[in-house]
Amino acid sequence: MADAPRRFADNPFLVLGVRPEQPRVEIEREGQKLLGMLELGLRSAATYMTPSGPRARTQEAVRAALAELRAPEKRLMHELWASLPQAQASAGKADGAPGDPYRGDASQRAPDHTDTSATQPGFAGAFALFGWRRP
Amino acid sequence: MTTSPRYVGIDLGTTNSAAAVFDGDSVTLVRNAQGGTLTPSIVRVDGRGNLLVGSRARRYIESDPDNTRGEFKRLMGTSKEVGFPASGAAYTPEALSAEVLKSLRADIQEQFGFTPDHAVISVPALFELPQSAATSEAARLAGFKRVELLQEPIASALAAGWSDDEQAGSWLVYDLGGGTFDVSLLETRDGLLRVVGHDGDNFLGGKDFDWAIVEWALAQLRERDGVALSRAKADDAPAIRKLKLAAEEAKIELTRAQATVLAIPNLTTRAGAPYDVDLELDRATLERLCTPAIQRTLAVCRRLLESHGIAPGELSHVVMVGGPSVMPGVRRQVAEGLACSLSEGLDPMTLVAQGAAIYAATAGLDAQTQELAVPGGYKAWLQFPAMSSDLTPHVVGRLVADDKAPAQAPSELRLVRSDGLWESPWAAVDAEGAFILATSLLARRPNVFKIEGRRGDGGSVTISPATVTIVQGLTISDPPLSRTIGVALANDGVRTYFERGAPLPARRTFTLMTVEGVAKGSDQSLLKIPIVQGEHDEAHLCRLVGTLEISGVEVKESLPSGSEIEMTLELDRGGRMSARALVPALEQVFEDVAQLLVPEADPAVLLASVDAARERIAGLRSDAFRRGAIPSLDRLSAIEAALPELEADIAAAQGGDGDAAQKARRTLLELDAQLEDLELERNWPEITQEANEAVIWATSWVGEFGLPHEQRLMEETAKALRLAQEKRDPAELQRQLRLVQRLGNTASRRHPEAWTRRFEYAASQVGDATDIVKAQALVKQGREAAAKGDNDTLRDVTQKLWQLLPSDVEKRRLSYDSGVR
Repeated sequence: MADAPRRFADNPFLVLGVRPEQPRVEIEREGQKLLGMLELGLRSAATYMTPSGPRARTQEAVRAALAELRAPEKRLMHELWASLPQAQASAGKADGAPGDPYRGDASQRAPDHTDTSATQPGFAGAFALFGWRRP
Repeated sequence: MTTSPRYVGIDLGTTNSAAAVFDGDSVTLVRNAQGGTLTPSIVRVDGRGNLLVGSRARRYIESDPDNTRGEFKRLMGTSKEVGFPASGAAYTPEALSAEVLKSLRADIQEQFGFTPDHAVISVPALFELPQSAATSEAARLAGFKRVELLQEPIASALAAGWSDDEQAGSWLVYDLGGGTFDVSLLETRDGLLRVVGHDGDNFLGGKDFDWAIVEWALAQLRERDGVALSRAKADDAPAIRKLKLAAEEAKIELTRAQATVLAIPNLTTRAGAPYDVDLELDRATLERLCTPAIQRTLAVCRRLLESHGIAPGELSHVVMVGGPSVMPGVRRQVAEGLACSLSEGLDPMTLVAQGAAIYAATAGLDAQTQELAVPGGYKAWLQFPAMSSDLTPHVVGRLVADDKAPAQAPSELRLVRSDGLWESPWAAVDAEGAFILATSLLARRPNVFKIEGRRGDGGSVTISPATVTIVQGLTISDPPLSRTIGVALANDGVRTYFERGAPLPARRTFTLMTVEGVAKGSDQSLLKIPIVQGEHDEAHLCRLVGTLEISGVEVKESLPSGSEIEMTLELDRGGRMSARALVPALEQVFEDVAQLLVPEADPAVLLASVDAARERIAGLRSDAFRRGAIPSLDRLSAIEAALPELEADIAAAQGGDGDAAQKARRTLLELDAQLEDLELERNWPEITQEANEAVIWATSWVGEFGLPHEQRLMEETAKALRLAQEKRDPAELQRQLRLVQRLGNTASRRHPEAWTRRFEYAASQVGDATDIVKAQALVKQGREAAAKGDNDTLRDVTQKLWQLLPSDVEKRRLSYDSGVR
């Protein structure tokens, strides 16, 4: 736990502003969106929240975060850190990126054949499976 | 009016080159004037300076080899020029590659009616930075305005994945080219291709099979007819060239036939008469000759799998790429050695070019420069994936404020798919002028969307550009860097910028300190910042790939020792590097990377290095015998076994083979690193003792003055250090040892008298400082601070004094004369 501040600050889920239980395709989509926003120099994408305060978000950090989450064994470790209450609190006040384009109009939502979040609990679900309870 | 995008991919090969064009739906191979899809990478320059490329040049390779040259890709990044004696002309390898690229560019114009300005060109995954830079230069010389480089195995994987929906799990691309071998471990999931890792050998390929046949033929001629020809003798070079050509043809023929004949009329003269050769070679003999090289490729594959915890049998399949991969012996040994099936139905000769074309779409690199602006339209700057495995990617945009725009800014935008069956919800433009649009893609085809805008009053606004095109299909994640890149420091250490495996593109900046001054106006005053590639902690074990130089002639003012330099390294997706050094004190930027060349390999120096390696091996062996260290003895035997081949390469280098010289240089560097490891192992008792003492020392300081998180980190590091001791891993032990020392140092500096002691030690060496006047002034300032008990100033002064103390001369020499720390 000695390097906990760094693990929170650089946690890919926080960098990307996504939840640990989100499926890979949604994470990739969010990452690509952030890369585009950073390329356009949008202030709303320039920072993200961590338990130790806001941090600058760069294209390099987003690419590195995406690369980390593509490797299943690494993702598992980051899910563990991102599932801790401190990180969850930060994720709640994540960046002020322009919202989901479908927000407020669910009927218009485009088909997403790969959205399996309902059936795949992810690491957060694994806590419950193993009988753990969050404090 | 715009035309639909076309994406061009080029495989610039050692033996043959190919090009392909992708239209978002299918890939078409480019045919040359002879109707073939493969253009030999051969250039001929005749006595009048006329230039021929490809098949037309190849016709002369036997009759006029001195003026008909191939395999120049293997010299890319070196300063070695290729001469054409008939015309007296000499070309750099990149200039010759440019001729091949021009030829392919003309073929595209002929077949598709446009001359590509942009393209993706493939390079071997383990190309060093100078070789990549030379490839970009070749493209520029050929007239391309913009190119992206792509690692060959990624190109093959993309093409193989694009043509097969069913691929999933882990698989390998085994790419055996004419001169290089690359292997990549890939994983396909949710339409996204991930390069898990790759490995290879820059000097192993079909050419090694040819040389094995040549050596066999030379032995046959010696034994049968008493004709002694040698690769080491420059006089024999014409005969050797003829033999090699015949060997290459025989190898290709034996892919189908069981036996063939190497028939070479007038190979050389014998007792004043022409000597004709007639040697029978069967497939079994060929396989026996090639087996050592094939087994070397398999060893590389196993090393890659092992490093990712995968057993050979766990692979779903292997995709075979490259001309030599069609050899039955290669296919059989790969299938058996990796215990899995080989992919069928893919063209191993053009797969790389096809993948490069598909990748050009991923990178949004339309081959033609198109004017997308719509007259009178309201300008928007858009960001979106040109190719996406996701069915609903976002299009992000920002309105470009333009007072002269005839149209009023839109308050909302949306996308309408060209088939009219889907439209996105209207998305509001926020305070920054930004908007995010939803999409819905039809699978595995180009999707064109019209962009519509409307004002608050409902009036429509024309947007420029008017459309976006997104191709849906398999895409590749950011490719990983194949070799760690950093800056060599004056103490022979390395400041690592990018670790192997880091996603590309990447950019990083570190602040370095100069170890000596740069005098304004002096051309003798030169500060070097060497850029190195390799996974070693010592700079001299890594390969020098470029040096950024700051000369006294360029600086606006003299730069004192201990000045800050903000050094930035940047790599694009193809691994092409640029470097930039900002000197804040001068407000000056230096960007020219000098010597971006593979270093020269002088055969005499190489031979001396082999002698030195033999001495080191002998010393290590007698020590290993004394200790009864069997694993060390095994490793030494393996190193020694590589020496004869190394010496053969040096002999060929003496005969004028520049490629063999480069191969020998690389091999020696690798052997040097292995011997260094063994020397660390030999010094194991001393290292472990040093480690134990460091832990005791650091634990006491960290226990007394460390912060809570440092104390916990100390515990973890001590555990890791013990684990490295148990595993007898000297490299890991040294890494942990450095961490322990850092922790101890950090904590010890919090002692109330720590800076007084450090200051006194630095002050005692002031006579050696690079700037004595400045150092003496600092000592005076430090003494005053010490008298007042001003610890902050004392720390600041001591750190400045450190920057003025000289670094070890020998270490600086080893670290490529680095002028920074």
